[in-house]
Amino acid sequence: MRLRFYILLSLSIALHVVPCNAQDRSDSERNREYKIKAAFLYNFIKFVDWPEEKVADPNEPIVIGIVGKYPFGDAFEPITKKQIKGRNGLIKRFEDVEKLKKGKTDKSAVESLRQCHLIFICSSEKENLADIVNLVDKHGVLTVGETPNMIKSGGMINFVVEENKVRFEINLTAAKNNRIKIRSQLLRLAKKVIEEK
Amino acid sequence: MVVMRNLTIKYKLIAITMLTCLASLMLAGTGVILWEWINLRRIMARNLSIQAEMIADNCKAALAFEDSKDAMETLEALHVQTSVVFGCVYNKKGEIFASYYNDNTGNGVRPVELMEDGYSFADGYLTVYKTIVLEDEVIGTVCLQSDLHPMYAMLGRSAGIIIGVMLLAFSAAYLVSSRLQRIISKPILDIADVAKVVSEQKDYSTRATSQTNDEVGVLINTFNEMLEQIQQRDSALVRAKNDLEERVKLRTADLTAANEQLIREVEEREKSEARQARLLKVLAKANEELKDFAYIISHDLKAPLRGISTLADWIKSDYGDKLDEAGKEQIDLLSSRVIRMHYLIDGVLQCSRIGRIKEEKVQINLNELVPEIIDMISPPEHIKITIEKKLPVIVSENTRIMQVFQNLLSNAVKYMDKPDGWVQINCVEEEGYWIFSISDNGPGIEEKYFDKIFQIFQTLSPRDEFESTGIGLTVAKKIVELYEGKIWVESEPGQGSTFFFSLPKQESEVYDVKLDAILDYK
Repeated sequence: MRLRFYILLSLSIALHVVPCNAQDRSDSERNREYKIKAAFLYNFIKFVDWPEEKVADPNEPIVIGIVGKYPFGDAFEPITKKQIKGRNGLIKRFEDVEKLKKGKTDKSAVESLRQCHLIFICSSEKENLADIVNLVDKHGVLTVGETPNMIKSGGMINFVVEENKVRFEINLTAAKNNRIKIRSQLLRLAKKVIEEK
Repeated sequence: MVVMRNLTIKYKLIAITMLTCLASLMLAGTGVILWEWINLRRIMARNLSIQAEMIADNCKAALAFEDSKDAMETLEALHVQTSVVFGCVYNKKGEIFASYYNDNTGNGVRPVELMEDGYSFADGYLTVYKTIVLEDEVIGTVCLQSDLHPMYAMLGRSAGIIIGVMLLAFSAAYLVSSRLQRIISKPILDIADVAKVVSEQKDYSTRATSQTNDEVGVLINTFNEMLEQIQQRDSALVRAKNDLEERVKLRTADLTAANEQLIREVEEREKSEARQARLLKVLAKANEELKDFAYIISHDLKAPLRGISTLADWIKSDYGDKLDEAGKEQIDLLSSRVIRMHYLIDGVLQCSRIGRIKEEKVQINLNELVPEIIDMISPPEHIKITIEKKLPVIVSENTRIMQVFQNLLSNAVKYMDKPDGWVQINCVEEEGYWIFSISDNGPGIEEKYFDKIFQIFQTLSPRDEFESTGIGLTVAKKIVELYEGKIWVESEPGQGSTFFFSLPKQESEVYDVKLDAILDYK
């Protein structure tokens, strides 16, 4: 047992150390980016108003669902300790997207997703954007993504990294369809606001 | 206030009014400006705070999503308010997140330190801080800085307006007060004019006219009453003065007359005094001549008298046997007459000597001197001479005192007609005089002779009965009077008589023998 452990350890070190030098900068940049994104997600909650039934019980936590391969690391750790809108924050991970797609077979996973106040669709799921958005449509869930097709796919907010700064676009129509009100302050900050008349 | 003292009432009243007006205007003006200043500051602080609050609200999202550009745009809105020279947003770390500078006045304005909520006035700027709170969390701070110069300019304008109003009010007050002061000053000035006329022209018939019923009116009435009284007294005084002048004139005339009289009298008196003095001189000379004459006469008379006496003796001894009884008797008579003549001349000499010759004054103890005199007289056995009392020690000329006592005592002895005769010597002190008395129980003297006996050559008994020259008492009197004393007699005929004489008591006498010795030495 002990021998096998050491082999594994040395292997993992060997595998990791080599690309580490090349990827060092981009890793720290990624970390910083996702820290900002985590903070932004949390701040979105402050400038967004959900339909009444979604926030009926004030003792229930605000739930943030992360769909796809989790990129945040420990970025949420300092944030979730704070209260938001007088409630606790809760992070839920939905990594098994296939399982979600087959929603009809596994209803509890979909239900859990639909109960989220906000879901973040990671870049890993850029192929499944429309599917995931459709899953939560009309359930009062603020959908945030980070891929260029997010808005087209019916998502509400999409992160855009520009000149090393994290900015965002808003699809106001999608939000309105879900009876989610996005405050003007947030709209003003958006790089682009899409609204069908 | 010294300046005020020299002003007339008119200008005093104006000055008082103006100063009062100025003080109240200045107070009011200062109050208004102060109030405006406080108010402006408050309003400014409130407005800027509201603005800061609005910006804070608008910057919440920008801070939350770290969009400094948006915050900058929010701050840009400040450009409509020109007094705001600087604005900035700090993030929660205290770093400047976005800032704004007013293009016109922004030069030189530096970003200020992050401070707590509130406002402060400093260095000509109002600075406001406002924290930005999102969901109970402080995410940043807004700081706005406003230039205070516009406010000061506004205050300056207000002050200018107030000063203008004050000047207007001041000149209005001057116009009004210079008219209204007459209400008070005119009656006073009138009374002052009247007083001036009265004091300069002494015309007490002038009267001030009273037009008001206030204190000044009372003053004028009282003043008029006073003038009335003065006028009355003045006329009374004038009358009295005239009377007095008349009287003085009369008195002066009287006095002049009296004075002239007096001068005349004085002149006359002076004349008479001069006459008297001349007379006195003549008299003194005559007296002196008389004394010398008496002396010379008596002295020269003695020589032929002595010759007559010798011749009578010679006749008696050489021709005694050739003369009959009658002849002898006549010769004896001649001798005795010559002897009496001798005595008389001696007496005259003695008398003249008293005034002429002076002896030195010495202490005389009468208790020693008087017994010596008694011995000298050697009275017959049937006459007792006694000293009744201790006699004093006096300061005088020895021979003279001796003469007085001798003459008086020998007279007493000589005229004694009783078989048991007594003579008593006594002395009393009375009012600064020693009064000596010599009493006897001799024949006594009738009162009508009291003066006569002291005259020269006067005796009461027949010439032949007693050997008397009638000069003793004269000598005694002369001596006593020379010492400013007196001599007199009291007598009852047949019972006896008492001779008194007084001598002024000198202070040194009796009391202090030693002092006398010192005086003598000198």
